[in-house]
Amino acid sequence: MANVEAEAVDFEPEEDDLMDEDIGDGSPNRAAAPRLKSAITGGGSSSAPKKTKGRGFRDEVTAEAERNARMSARFDSLDSEGGGPGPERSIEGWIVLVTGVHEEAQEDDLQNSFGDYGEIKNLHLNLDRRTGFVKGYALIEFEKFEDAQRAISELDGTQILTQTINVDWAFSKGPFRRRNMRRRSPRGHRSRSPRRRF
Amino acid sequence: MAEGDESGEFYLRYYVGHKGKFGHEFLEFEFRPDGKLRYANNSNYKNDTMIRKEVFLTPAVLKECRRIVAYSEIMKEDDNNWPEPDRVGRQELEIVMGNEHISFTTSKIGSLMDVQTSKDPEGLRIFYYLVQSGVLFTEDYFTAPGKI
Repeated sequence: MANVEAEAVDFEPEEDDLMDEDIGDGSPNRAAAPRLKSAITGGGSSSAPKKTKGRGFRDEVTAEAERNARMSARFDSLDSEGGGPGPERSIEGWIVLVTGVHEEAQEDDLQNSFGDYGEIKNLHLNLDRRTGFVKGYALIEFEKFEDAQRAISELDGTQILTQTINVDWAFSKGPFRRRNMRRRSPRGHRSRSPRRRF
Repeated sequence: MAEGDESGEFYLRYYVGHKGKFGHEFLEFEFRPDGKLRYANNSNYKNDTMIRKEVFLTPAVLKECRRIVAYSEIMKEDDNNWPEPDRVGRQELEIVMGNEHISFTTSKIGSLMDVQTSKDPEGLRIFYYLVQSGVLFTEDYFTAPGKI
């Protein structure tokens, strides 16, 4: 079965001879890649060219024009004020993210730990549809800011079912700054000490 | 997890849509490197309106997204043998992680049967489940106010 795409960029990440730029020479996939990269990363930190793969690079000019058209309209933002780091209230309450959740954890396990800190309005423990086990994270919504804050500071780094969990805010009032990344946005975000680096 | 590549860039965009008698109907979301999550859902059926929302995520959420993507090993896949987008619909998945950038396209996947009978069931299955968890996360939040 003839497959025209077979000669397009096709690499295994393990193969280091493909670090060279010669891969995919003559393929239309290749030429457009840097432009797309810069559109996305906003001319970010790394100057090294990215390894690209996929048919999405084929009709890239058209695709990007369509994408811009779709995404150009105004987006409703939860936060009308805008601005810097700090937790963001969701429509109903304050949402914390729990990561490192044991794959066999039940909602009750989380309810028992987090319920001590205040009324939980919602608890989402998403399952991996493939395995049926817990995906590894949970979203828990508190009615009150103080309750959420206390749950974060007291449960972050503790264990559920012998596995260490991390607890943090899920939503933020504004963009976070990343190391080595020069933002073009003129909107000044006061550089208060950022919440947590990773 | 070495492939989590915690310090590098992370960008993820997913689009699914088609053009039909109700116009261009689609769902699209995008996790941007600065934490902005944008979500658009345009259904013209019965005069449904366009939903466009954005919110900022904390680094903790992006880190978890990156973990899930790395764990899925989607970056090792290739769309070469996936069904081409067609009149029924189109899906796009674009991810920048570390120094790799994928931009995959395929047709709509109605069910796991479509995955099973494709030329690359293994790869397409990874795509299918990863996309499901992404849609789950964003829809949980954006389409059911108060339900997270």
